[in-house]
Amino acid sequence: MTALIDEAGPAVSVRGLRRDFVRGGGLLSTHATVRAVDGVSFDVSHGEVLGIVGESGSGKSTLARLITGLLRPTAGDVRIAGRSLAEADRRQRARLIQQVFQDPYSSLNPTQRVRDIVALPLVAQGDVPREERARRVSEMLALVGLDPAVGERYPGQMSGGQRQRVAIARALVLKPRIVVCDEPTSALDVSVQAQILNLLQALRRELNLTLVFISHNLAVVEHIATHVAVMYLGRIVEAAPTAELFGSPRHPYTAALLQSVLTPEPGKGIPRIPLGEGFPDPAAIPPGCRFHPRCPSALPACADASPPLRVDAGHLVECILAPETASREATSQVHAGLGP
Amino acid sequence: MSGRLTPSAKAALVIGGSVLGATVLLALLAPWIAPHDPFLQNLDQRLAPPFWAEGSLSGHPLGTDQLGRDYLSRLLYGARISLLIGAVTVILSGMIGVGLGMAGGYAGGWLDDAVMIVVTCRLSIPLILVALTVVALTGTSLVVVMLTLGLLLWERFAVVARTTTMQVRHREFIEAARLCGASLPHILLREVLPNILPHLVVVMTLELAIAILLEAALSFLGLGVPPPLPSWGLMIAEARDQMFFMPWVITIPGVALFTLVLAINILGDGLRDLVAGGHAR
Repeated sequence: MTALIDEAGPAVSVRGLRRDFVRGGGLLSTHATVRAVDGVSFDVSHGEVLGIVGESGSGKSTLARLITGLLRPTAGDVRIAGRSLAEADRRQRARLIQQVFQDPYSSLNPTQRVRDIVALPLVAQGDVPREERARRVSEMLALVGLDPAVGERYPGQMSGGQRQRVAIARALVLKPRIVVCDEPTSALDVSVQAQILNLLQALRRELNLTLVFISHNLAVVEHIATHVAVMYLGRIVEAAPTAELFGSPRHPYTAALLQSVLTPEPGKGIPRIPLGEGFPDPAAIPPGCRFHPRCPSALPACADASPPLRVDAGHLVECILAPETASREATSQVHAGLGP
Repeated sequence: MSGRLTPSAKAALVIGGSVLGATVLLALLAPWIAPHDPFLQNLDQRLAPPFWAEGSLSGHPLGTDQLGRDYLSRLLYGARISLLIGAVTVILSGMIGVGLGMAGGYAGGWLDDAVMIVVTCRLSIPLILVALTVVALTGTSLVVVMLTLGLLLWERFAVVARTTTMQVRHREFIEAARLCGASLPHILLREVLPNILPHLVVVMTLELAIAILLEAALSFLGLGVPPPLPSWGLMIAEARDQMFFMPWVITIPGVALFTLVLAINILGDGLRDLVAGGHAR
């Protein structure tokens, strides 16, 4: 099992990842190709937490499914701990990478007992004896803060938070080093969200996990992530260490996203976001910079050419304005939006 | 789960279940409770009326048929034939239909298209014509009836299994199982099948009733169970000549058939409500 892990290289390495979906295409309708993920590359080092943020339709969940191998990429390659995901068989893949899903009401089979749900990865390995399976399931349930006696229950008899703990136990029972969390708290009550986040944080430290954490909730990402990537229409438009990205966003979209965060102070009202009313449509990606129709600081050139990728000390930005617009103005707006 | 059931659904489960249960019990116990050998002819005591009519014979509570065989015994043994044919048909057609339906529903794409074409072809085959052909080729026997019905009555299973599998396929626990490294047979049998089973049970009751009725129809036409086996359809067929003079010879097996099929259908309705209620979260 240990031979599977290449400790030297990055935990997750994604190169030129692209995924197209064909929509329609019946007898009378025409095909529409939706490019959900379009040329994404990044590395996640061991022990890091990469937060991926973006609006609905930005391709976050597709990216998650590509990283775990649930979807095959149209082009590009995903390497987990140095191994190409396309070459790993189902058992190896299960030991390398696991996922915690968004909705614990849908991700647990309602006809199975909790102990069978958590034991499934061990059963699927095919070589774990029954007693050891039972022992490890109990251990795992205790680790995620559940009484091992809940193993006898069915998911229908548990609360949302308990179910998500079960889902986390299932994801960790094979001791994978990399876990993808696709909006793991967004289906939960606000009071439970913090518990689950803190649990993930604690488990990450305890088990030295690498997390890819997908969310549309910026506060959650700021809390848990060491690095953040911002997605817009299938591309990562900006990526940087968390503090730097939240402190000095360089892409106008990131700046607008940060501005859109609601403040806890009631008197301030709903923040004004300079993005217009339009929704990004992955079936009709604009030419040039894909953000230019909504960009508050777009130049005429943005409609023609794809923006260059600018890298500065681990801070990646895809914007023509990037070097000089680590802009005073945008930054001050962000601070204004985030608090006093 | 039962707390959410309407009183009518509860009544349907109790009534349908107990009548079907009683019939199964009587059929199983036939060798011990039947007063006579169902094949034993006694020409002296032909066409004796049942106990409520004048001139009934003691020891033959439901009278005798045109060959003097005890009608109650034949009815009890006939229940065995009906239920046996129903059960074997449902098992055989269930395996074919659920297998095809789950394969098409889970895989989608060309396999799904192929399954739907096969279902459409099956729907265009007239059952009575096939039965006539089979009987012409092989002669009548119990096994032939079960095979004919079992190989022809699977399309409802296929359609329901396909649709419900398509609904379950997109739930996240299927993806989770794939990520856990589970094999395809495991996913189909452990993750998908238990979640579509309640729907299949409803189809099962429907098919059981249809198979029992079809067996009676085929036997009535002389394409089903061969004499002297005691089948309810055959009893109705043999009683045809007497029906204007001694109506009970045709009404007794007719009422038995009607009651059993009605009970199974009522049970199916109750199960349908149970499934619908149990799955509402």
